[in-house]
Formats: sequence, structure tokens, C-alpha cells
Amino acid sequence: MLDLIISTVTQGFIYALLSYGIYITYKILDFPDLTVDGSFPLGAAVTAVLLVKGVNPYLTLPLAMAVGALAGLVTGVIHVCFGVRDLLAGIITMTALFSINLQIAGSNLAVGRDVDTIFTAEPVATVFGNFTLLQRKLIVAFLLVVIFKILLDLYFKTKNGLLLRAVGDNDVLVTSLAKDKGKVKILGLVIANALVALCGCVVCHEQRSFSATMGTGQMVFGLATVIIGTTIFKKEGFVKGTTAVVVGSVIYKVCIQIAISLGLPANLLKLVTAVLFLVILVVGNCQKGGTKKHA
Amino acid sequence: MLEMKHISKIYNAGTVTEMCLFNDFNLTVGDGEFVSVVGSNGSGKTSMLNIICGSIPIDKGQVLINGESIDRMKEFERYRKMGRVYQNPALGTCPNMTILENMSLADHKGKHFGLSSGVNKARAGYYKEQLASLGLGLEDKMNVKLGALSGGQRQAVSLVMATLTPLDFLILDEHTAALDPHTAEIIMQLTDKVVKEKKLTAIMVTHNLRYAVEYGSRLLMMDKGHIVMDKSGEEKANLVTDDILHVFNQISIECGN
Amino acid sequence: MRKAMKRALCAVVAMAMVFGMGACGEKKIPVIGISQYGEHGSLDNCREGFLQGLADAGLVEGTDFTVDYQNAGFDDNICTQIGQNFSAKNVDLMCGIATNAATACFAAAEDKDIPVIFTAITDPVKAKLDSGNITGTSDKLPVEAQLDLIRKMQPEADTIGIIYTTSEPNSVSAIEEYQAKAGNYGFTVEAVGVTAQSEVTQAADMLISKGVDCFSNLTDNNVVGVLSSVLEKTNEAEIPVYGSEVEQVTLGCVAAAGIDYFELGRQTGAMAAKVLKGEVKASEIPYETIAEYGIYINSAAIAEMGMTVPADIAEKAIESQE
Repeated sequence: MLDLIISTVTQGFIYALLSYGIYITYKILDFPDLTVDGSFPLGAAVTAVLLVKGVNPYLTLPLAMAVGALAGLVTGVIHVCFGVRDLLAGIITMTALFSINLQIAGSNLAVGRDVDTIFTAEPVATVFGNFTLLQRKLIVAFLLVVIFKILLDLYFKTKNGLLLRAVGDNDVLVTSLAKDKGKVKILGLVIANALVALCGCVVCHEQRSFSATMGTGQMVFGLATVIIGTTIFKKEGFVKGTTAVVVGSVIYKVCIQIAISLGLPANLLKLVTAVLFLVILVVGNCQKGGTKKHA
Repeated sequence: MLEMKHISKIYNAGTVTEMCLFNDFNLTVGDGEFVSVVGSNGSGKTSMLNIICGSIPIDKGQVLINGESIDRMKEFERYRKMGRVYQNPALGTCPNMTILENMSLADHKGKHFGLSSGVNKARAGYYKEQLASLGLGLEDKMNVKLGALSGGQRQAVSLVMATLTPLDFLILDEHTAALDPHTAEIIMQLTDKVVKEKKLTAIMVTHNLRYAVEYGSRLLMMDKGHIVMDKSGEEKANLVTDDILHVFNQISIECGN
Repeated sequence: MRKAMKRALCAVVAMAMVFGMGACGEKKIPVIGISQYGEHGSLDNCREGFLQGLADAGLVEGTDFTVDYQNAGFDDNICTQIGQNFSAKNVDLMCGIATNAATACFAAAEDKDIPVIFTAITDPVKAKLDSGNITGTSDKLPVEAQLDLIRKMQPEADTIGIIYTTSEPNSVSAIEEYQAKAGNYGFTVEAVGVTAQSEVTQAADMLISKGVDCFSNLTDNNVVGVLSSVLEKTNEAEIPVYGSEVEQVTLGCVAAAGIDYFELGRQTGAMAAKVLKGEVKASEIPYETIAEYGIYINSAAIAEMGMTVPADIAEKAIESQE
């Protein structure tokens, strides 16, 4: 029982990294970024290859972020420089990444148990040596979520972060401020996809495997978590968006786990997701009062 | 000084809907002038503003500021020394950000947006001072989101934000048109005050003939891409609304408006 | 804020209640957690065979063991959560059907000693499922038997067309084997990769236009999913299609040297029974490939193609019409 809560919450924390990314593109930039379905497995593919090659597991985190950032850059350039619509720009990159991921890691790549992951390597193994692997995964995932939450919150308060928020809020103003709104959008996509790839990286560490299909539906999942989180905390002005999406991610994973425990057939799980989505949106709309553009 | 020289602009060139808006259009606005522009719909007022700002390209001609061509500058680059207040109050501010954050953004216009703190607390006093001059009590709402303010309040903040940094030029694009008459009056008075206090060069497009007559140092009337009336100095000062209403009605009838 | 916390708490409490219900009344009878990647004819047969294998070993469901069956609907994230669910409940044995399900179960059991039995995995070595407290059966295709069958059925044939999904590991490794061994039987392989089910019929058109002498199928989910429309095209072009398992032959393929997934499952069930009874540990037995392949034919389809079945094949073939 406790184990199940720990592992479910761990999943929620790990996937919260992806939710951060979607929070930036969807909620801040107002950009429906489908790159996610490709950059998530990209992070995992790079990680799996590096781990198999014996690279230090902690080094895979920044490296996965770097390739994810590159994916975001491509979408941004396609959208901003070539004038392709946001949705299509993401689809183009996502489609290309599907092939690229296959090139990097094949259709499946497993990481054997003899290879250390971020959950089993030093210094984590020594510092948290008294905990079980399950608990260690929770601790590491929690640390990652907190570290990136703090970094993002700090960033949103910088001049650059302020400009990023402005471009999603009112891009005409950004032009009036003599700033190239295109560049700001690209930067947002770069940061977001770096986070998404980081999530893919951690999932790869946790599952010890990469599969070419693992990206399918991640964008929808991310959207759901962002909407769940921000709707719940809509009235609570002082709860940061980053905190809200972490809660959203955990709730989502908990709901799926409840559905599994109840023995709902998998074919109904998607329906559960849809109903959950709808309920939260409707409840959110009933207690409207904010100034958000989105539901 | 702003100069528009021999501007040509043709919409939908080469198609059946081809429309020549400007053909050899010329305009010079001297430093410190406050020009109000009137004209019926489709007379080219807003297109003129968009050409100055670079939001629409031109086919021929040149736009110069202080003798230097700005034709090769992108839209956002031109705003370094230009401010603009839009008809829609929502376009001048960020609705999901607080007044303080909005003011901080405006204060940093044209500079590098790096990783230093976005809101400079030391400047908060200055922002309050600027907002206080509006007389709307906004200086006490620094942490309120712009989206929670009324259209008039937003437009007032837009005006302050657009003029917070030194400008060569202020562009007012029917900035009172979306407001109720009472609020429009207040914004118009504020505009006049700001322009005079900061000694700005400004171009104001308006549909309100009275504002055009009462405010500004020069009045232009446009029709089909041409300036049909240009009054300044003594002539402008003696103008009454009825004088231009007569001319305005004549061109409107010709247009079938 | 308090309201929001309350709402978040509600979810956690609900979860606790649900798990609480699941928690009581267990532990007396061993629990087998079956995680199946998705709803799919072959995988379903596998599961049924698995249960039959347990029954053959004298284990009775309900008294000797209970089954917690979960289906991931082809979603990797759900696979993960199913594995964790089993692991947290400390089931006595996990059975992963298809690679992604087995991988997730094995990952969830990383720090526990729960035995994992897999089935329907082509290459357990590549999937790193060959060491640890894990064993099972591989559904590697009998490629050589298939090539031999095609040679006997079509002595004049030169090229074999195969459609496969580039992201399905089983298909990729099968294609590699086809390409390596086709030469021995005098064939060349014309393989077309697809990334989605929607591209399969297009790929079939392409192979037909290239003039291949026959099609051979893998156990590729995307291809099998639209096999009927592929057969429509090949029948029109009078190109025979060879299947890889009995169900495809039933659908209208001329013949197959293939796996009976029910048998595969039964073999797996027998292994699981030994582990459950405590006779061996999963870590002690190596994974197995299916002992025998069946030859399946569909006489109606063969007649339609104007082909005849050589006597030696007719002898051992199993008629598989609807």
C-alpha cells in the first residue's frame, strides 16, 4: 500500500518535469507544441545510448536537456523564420524526431541492471544508502522537481523571464518594447523542450529502457496535468504555476493508478482520463473569476 | 523629425481587387509637433501609421527619422525610439501581469533583457509617481493584474508605459475610440498633458473631430491617400469643429459614406 | 488555498481507500499479476494458453492461485504503472506479455525478488531480460521454415515482399534474419518500412507495383491490423501472401510456417507453474523458444491463386479456414 503510493507519487514527480515544459509552451507562450511527443523519447533515446556506453548517469541529464533544447530550437525556427503555423511546426519536428530517435537508439533499447542509473550510482547510493530503491527513486525525483521548480520560478522573475511571459500574454507589447517576439518564442520552446527531454531522460533511468513509441500521447498527458493543476489552484493566486502543475501531474498518475487498482479495463482508461479532464474543466468553469484566457 | 517621401502602396497588386492607396505620398512632421489626423474610413490614416511603424511594407518611397532612412529596419527595431498606443486597450499592456511588472517591462524598453531581477524595487517609487500623475489612484494598485482593470484604466497605463522611456515619436492610433465618452475625455486630457510635459513629437489618428480641433498643434485631413487639409500654427488655433465638419461631410458624400 | 489542499487531499484519500480495499483478504492464495501490452488476437491467445499451462500443471485458479489481469492498451506509461501496482502489492509472480509489458514489470521489480515470466518477446537478450529473476518464452519467428515453405509452394519465385514497422523491435530483428537467410533459399527480400498503420496499404501497393512474387508477413501489429485490406489488393494482383501464425491464415493468407500463440502461452504457463510451486527459481531456468512450429494452409486461398500444395507439405499441414 505504502509502496504503491510512493511509486505513484514518484511517477507524478518525474512526469512533472514534462508538465513544466508544457506549462511554458501552452500556458505561458500560448503555443500548442506537439514537438513534445518527439522530444520526450529523444531525451530517453540519448540517455539509453549514453548509459549503455557507460557514460556517467548524472551527465546524461544535461546532455538530454541539450538535445531537447535543440529540438525546441528547430520547431521555433520553423515557426518563426519560415512562418509555419505553430501546430504544424511542432508536427514537422515531431515526425522528424520519430525517425531520428530510431536512428539514435533503434526501436527499443534496454539498459541492463549492471548499469548504474541516477537512482543507483554514487553519490546517491551512499547518501541515501539506508533507503530502499523505491524510496530513493522518490527522493531523487522529488529533488529534481524541486530544483527545477526553484530555477524556473527564479527565471520567471528575471527580466528575460518577464519578457517570456509577456510574449504569451500580449506579443504586440513585446514588439512595442523593441524586442523581436520571434526570438523570445524560440527561447521559450528551447527551454520547454529541454525540460521535456529531461523528463524522457529520467523515465529512461527509471524504466531502464527506451522504446520508440514512448512519446505517443505525452503532449495530451502534459496538457491534462497543466489544466488539472492550474484549474485546482485558479483562485489561489499565490500558488505558483509550477507548483500547480506538479500537483496536477501527481493527481493524474494517482487517478490512473486508482483505475488500475479498481481493475478497469485498459480500453476504459482513456475514458477515465477524458472524464477526469471534463470534470475538472467544468468545475473550474463553474467557479470562474480569474483573468486567464484558457480554461 | 519624421519624413515620408514619395510613398507608394498598392494592395493586392496584379489582381482584380488591386487598390492603390498611396501614390507619391509626402509628409514631414517637425520636432515637437502634435499632429492630429482625421479622415473617413479607408482614407489611409491607419495605413500611414503602419507604414511608419513598419507593420506593412511599402512599394516605393522612403521613411526617414532625423534624416536617416528606417526602411531597412524591422518593425520591432523601429520601436526603439517610438511609442505606440493602440485603439484596443488590451494591446498596450499584459493582462496577466501586475502593474509593477508591466511598468518594469516598459522601463526596460530597448535594453537587454538578461537574467537580472525583472522588477527593480528601487524604481517602484518612480513608477508610482508616474501613475499618480494620472490621478486614477493606480499607484496604490501596483500588485494588481492589468486584466482586472477597466478599459480606461488600462489605456491610461498603456499611455504611461509607451512614454516611460525617451522617444523620438509617439503614435496614437485611435486610442480613445474604444472608450466611453467620459473616459475618452479623461484619456485625451492625459494624453495632452503627457505630450506637453515630455515635449513629445506625436501623431494622433482620431475619428473625433472635436479632439482633432481642440488638441494638437497641427491638423491633417486625409482622403483616398492624399492630404486634403493641412492646418497648423495660427490657422489651426482659430479652427472650429464646424469648419472641418463641412469639408469632412463633402468628402464622405463623395465616397458614398 | 485550504480549499485546494482539501481537493488534493480528497484524491489521495480516495486512492488510499481503493488500495485499502485491495489490500485486505490477500496473501493466503498466491497472486499472479498478468500485464498484457494490449488487446490483440495473438497476445490474447498467449494469455489463454498461459492459464491453460498452469491448469495442465495441476494448479487450479481460485484455490492454488488468483489472477490479477491488467491490459495497458498499448500505452507505455500505463505499462509502467501496472508494473508498479503489481510490485507494490507484492504479487507472487508477474507475467509480462509482449516486450514493453515485460520490461515495465521487470523494472518495477528491480529491488524486489518477485519472479517475472515473459512471453511473446522476440529477442529477450536484446531486451536485457535474460538475466535476473526472470525467464519466459520467445516468439521468434521460424524464418527458415517459412522460407523453405515458400520455396516449396512457389519453386519459380524470386522476390519476397515484406512490410514491417520500423519502430517494432520484433519486426526489425525478423527482417534482419530474413535478409540474412533468404539467399540460402534463392530469394531476395524487398522490405518496406512503415511508421504507422495508415501507411501499410500504400506500402502494399508499392510492393505490388514492384512485381514481387509473394508477400510474407511478420507478427507486425500494424500490418496484421489491416491484413484484410492488404489481402484485397494482393488477391486482385494474384500475389500469394504467407502469414506468420495461424490467425493470419484463417484470415486468407495461403499458408504459414508459424507459431501457435496458444501453445507458446501454454509452454510459458508450464514454466510459471514450476516457479510458483517452488520447484525452481525463475533465475535458474533459461528462456525458451517454442519447441515446434506448425504449417498452416488455407486451401480456398490456395485454389484462388491457382496454386497446388506439394505432397510433403499437404501431409503435415493443418487446414485453417474459417
